[in-house]
Amino acid sequence: MAESGVVFNIQKYSVHDGPGIRTVVFLKGCPLHCLWCSNPESQKPGPQLIYNRNKCLGIENCVRCLEVCTAGALKAGPENRVAIDRDVCTECLLCTSACPSRALNVYGEVLSVEQVLARVEEDGAFYTRSGGGLTLSGGEPMHQPQFALALLREARRRRLNTAMETCGFCRGEDLREACGLLDTLLYDLKSMDSEKHRENTGVSNELILENLHRVREDFPDLPIWVRTPLIPGFNDTVEEIRAIVEHIRTLPGIRYELLDYHRMGKPKYEYLGLEFPMGDRMLDEEKARAIRRFLKTEAPELLTPERPAAAAESFGTGGR
Amino acid sequence: MSQVPGSEVLSPHEQRLIDEMQGRSGKYETGRERVFRIMKRFQMQRPRIDIERALYFTESMKQTEGQHLMLRWAKALKHIAANITVYIDEDQLLVGRAGKQGRYGILYPELDGDFLDLAVQQLSQRVQSPFDIDPEDARVVIEEIAPYWKGKTFHEALAKALPAETLRYTYDPQNVLISRFIVNETASFRSCLQWVHDYEKVLKRGFKGIRKEAEERLAALDPLSPIDNTDKKPFLEAVIILCDAIVLWAKRHARLAAELASRERDPQRKAELAELARICERVPEQPATSFHEAMQSQWFTQMFSRIEQKTGTIISNGRMDQYLYPFYKKDKEEGRLTDERALELLECMWLGMAQFIDLYISPTGGAFNEGYAHWEAVTIGGQTRDGRDATNDLSYLFLRSKREFPMHYPDLAARIHTRSPERFLWEVAETIKEGSGFPKLINDEEVIPLYVSKGATFEEAYDYAVSGCSEARMPNRDTYTSGCAYINFAAALEMTLLNGKMRKYGEEQIGLQTGDPRNFRNWEEFWNAYLTHQTEFIKQAFIQQVHIIRLRAQHFAAPLASALHDLCMQHCIDLHQPKIPGGIDLGYFEFIGYGTVVDSLAAIKKLVYEEKKVSMDELLEALAHNFEGREDLRHILLNAPCYGNNDAYADGIAKAIDRAALEFTHKYARELGVHLDLRYVPFTSHVPFGKVVGATPNGRKAWTPLSDGSSASQGADRNGPTAVLLSNFASKNYDFRERASRLLNIKFTPKCVAGEEGTRKLVSFIRTWCDLKLWHVQFNVINKQTLLAAQREPEKYRGLIVRIAGYSAYFVDLSPDLQNDLIARTEHETL
Repeated sequence: MAESGVVFNIQKYSVHDGPGIRTVVFLKGCPLHCLWCSNPESQKPGPQLIYNRNKCLGIENCVRCLEVCTAGALKAGPENRVAIDRDVCTECLLCTSACPSRALNVYGEVLSVEQVLARVEEDGAFYTRSGGGLTLSGGEPMHQPQFALALLREARRRRLNTAMETCGFCRGEDLREACGLLDTLLYDLKSMDSEKHRENTGVSNELILENLHRVREDFPDLPIWVRTPLIPGFNDTVEEIRAIVEHIRTLPGIRYELLDYHRMGKPKYEYLGLEFPMGDRMLDEEKARAIRRFLKTEAPELLTPERPAAAAESFGTGGR
Repeated sequence: MSQVPGSEVLSPHEQRLIDEMQGRSGKYETGRERVFRIMKRFQMQRPRIDIERALYFTESMKQTEGQHLMLRWAKALKHIAANITVYIDEDQLLVGRAGKQGRYGILYPELDGDFLDLAVQQLSQRVQSPFDIDPEDARVVIEEIAPYWKGKTFHEALAKALPAETLRYTYDPQNVLISRFIVNETASFRSCLQWVHDYEKVLKRGFKGIRKEAEERLAALDPLSPIDNTDKKPFLEAVIILCDAIVLWAKRHARLAAELASRERDPQRKAELAELARICERVPEQPATSFHEAMQSQWFTQMFSRIEQKTGTIISNGRMDQYLYPFYKKDKEEGRLTDERALELLECMWLGMAQFIDLYISPTGGAFNEGYAHWEAVTIGGQTRDGRDATNDLSYLFLRSKREFPMHYPDLAARIHTRSPERFLWEVAETIKEGSGFPKLINDEEVIPLYVSKGATFEEAYDYAVSGCSEARMPNRDTYTSGCAYINFAAALEMTLLNGKMRKYGEEQIGLQTGDPRNFRNWEEFWNAYLTHQTEFIKQAFIQQVHIIRLRAQHFAAPLASALHDLCMQHCIDLHQPKIPGGIDLGYFEFIGYGTVVDSLAAIKKLVYEEKKVSMDELLEALAHNFEGREDLRHILLNAPCYGNNDAYADGIAKAIDRAALEFTHKYARELGVHLDLRYVPFTSHVPFGKVVGATPNGRKAWTPLSDGSSASQGADRNGPTAVLLSNFASKNYDFRERASRLLNIKFTPKCVAGEEGTRKLVSFIRTWCDLKLWHVQFNVINKQTLLAAQREPEKYRGLIVRIAGYSAYFVDLSPDLQNDLIARTEHETL
């Protein structure tokens, strides 16, 4: 229980990350660096300072942050905004408590298992009726394996329904231990082309595929949802998706879904002082439709959503 | 890692609007040609005033001065029934309207005759809910109707009766026509609280049966008894006159229908008119024998009720899926009725409702009911009198009509309990997803135990009907009809900061002097000062209510409502009399600005007294200047703990406020002999109430709307819809029976509830709401972009329906203020 880790968000009423109404706990740190990553704040393991120019009241109106910065990292910048010298910044984070509008803020907070689960359990009444519960996400939850496993163990003990989203790039033993504690596994599979995978995410896909196979073998009853983010210029072709579908068809009992690329993470790159690698690229609607048509006609059995826990049908019973 | 499945998703309601704009509306109209034809005739019309009711009512009242009030009222109704123009609308299958064809409103000079002349001159210009009036009609109002009522209205009598210190919380002492929106009475702009009749009585017995009962009671009176002669005799005579009046009115329709039928060339319409003539000859005098007769009998009754008096937010329809079911079932079994025909009849009724506008003459009334709002609630689902699930085929038919016919009337309300069938909840959720916000949900698990604790039997409590916005009524047991106070507690907060004064009213000492807050040494002193004002406000409201209860009986009578009430008939007492033996008097007082007050107190407690980040001086200075030059401070305040986030800090304050109000009424309501329960139901009053309150310590700018009902402050609910529900739960005091309705609005974007999975999650969300014993919830499934577009191009979005505090209205009918308020509410979009 003394286990703690770095969490960058706890999202209530999540309805797209596992069965029922869930709370998603986002753990910080990720071994991948996907060009399209919509949570750039998830990549580094420790807490990070961010600056949202739009929320900033402007240095003509407020200089509270400049007054508290002892490292000299914050200065009056152009356009009535603050300029951050991240090389000088010691991330003491004093400016984040001084900032009235939360334009300066911190992504990532060290929390204990107890603190996290207390937040998750607040929505217990909703899990009971919907068959929902806790979903671990990230970053990559298996990047903080001890913390993630401690969370799952304790969640199990408290009769919470558990799910985990993973990119699959992690130690096999850790993942298998997690699966022993899970009710649903959400598994990202981005491309079957290992070279392309390396170019766009920073790692090849061999370990990912190997882990998926192994988990399926060792946990034949565990519901697994394989998910592919549909990324323009990377995997947005019928061929790419066909390759993934044909591969997962060799494994039993897998549900498959596509997640449309979006640019909602773009502002967060700015907050972190980073360039958004995807620029203004958009998902081509025509292409996305063609891929969905393909799935509907040629792999309908993968798309049929599994019924979540019986709780949703026969009210009054618990999540499990 | 987390991606959003699907991109922009439109709700079906939005899809329909776009289809209509692009001329593709045909697919919705197939099979509904009749009702669409009727709808298109009045859809774009600005409402007009019809003066006939006011004219004939006044004519009769002039002739009957000095007589028993109920007898006068019944005679006036008979005079109206004999003289008012009767109409049969083209294509309509139900008849009975109280005024001109198209959208119309009628006048109640007994309420506002003292300023009716001034008001009619201004009605077409006012921003909120404008009306048109024919110049000749305006002349009649000004010269013939209004003068008679000057000096005779309840409004004037109340203003005279209120003690000076209560008056200054209520009206501008220089001009009592101007409400101050501090401790606001609502008894003078309506004759009755929102109400539900026992329509089943009419369907089963007919007015013939009710008349017979009155005759028998009359015959049984003790001819030597002074009380029987003075009170009971005129009551029963009035009931008899009333029964004759409504039957006369119905039969005039029968004659007109027969006449039109004789001239009609289209054979189908000729047959319809002949059938109408037959039906109107029969009901509501006789018991109904078919579904169509039952519908017509009910419609005559509710329309005559509208002529009788101005019921707050219009008379509700009760449990229609229950009392109509035997007629529906029989007709279907005998092959006389199809679901399509039943739908057509129901929708003919919705069209009749949509055309009758709840006209508020007084500026106060108009501000309370923006967007021509009315709530003639139709209740479906719930439980039977013996506690079984009550859902039937008609319940599903009502939901189907709501999905398929884009009409924002009736205000459909579904009663939910722990054993509501899964199919019912699925269809409710699918209907909500259609995007027009219906049905609203009322929770049996909260209402029924509360009503039993207030003295009802289980049978009565199981059989409650939703009334108006979110109230629940037991039609033969409820006996309290006095309009109740709406209290602006954000004003109490302002008085705490300004030592009993308000920014809006300058140096006038309206409230108690609780001291300069700069001299308060700690949070406890501030909190106690706030509570002093809060308690004083409630005290003033209760004093108002004492006078209202005493005075109303001299001004209002309701022969129809009384004739349909078991207890009134049994004791021969008009429904508006203060005490009816055996009745349960369910009054209330309304807490307006809950989120605003809670968030302001939380900000002060945390930032001024605990963290000492902000000084009281600095805060007062910033508030005085509406945060000009102090955006930094405003943002610090905005980021303090807020109600609606399941945050124990803010919710703890919310619960303490709620409790203090409950303790007051627990102790003092009994002095008035009625229940005055704590509600959080604003109509649209949080907008006008906000206009009298300067900047508040939660970062709210001066004169902007207050928070609405028991919802979070606009934009303050940042933790999603589960937290909104949980905050509501956490701030309630379940150990007090003096609690009543809390209005709760949740807005979803369509993406949140898309597809079968979305429905499933909405159903489980509703189940949890039921588990939490929250009184009411309604959903708004809409894109913020849609609202913004509607604001830019109102012409294109005339049909856009949105929900505001307990009802739906056309978005473009709302004032810019309220539109902005809606847009500002947090959208719950999941990532």
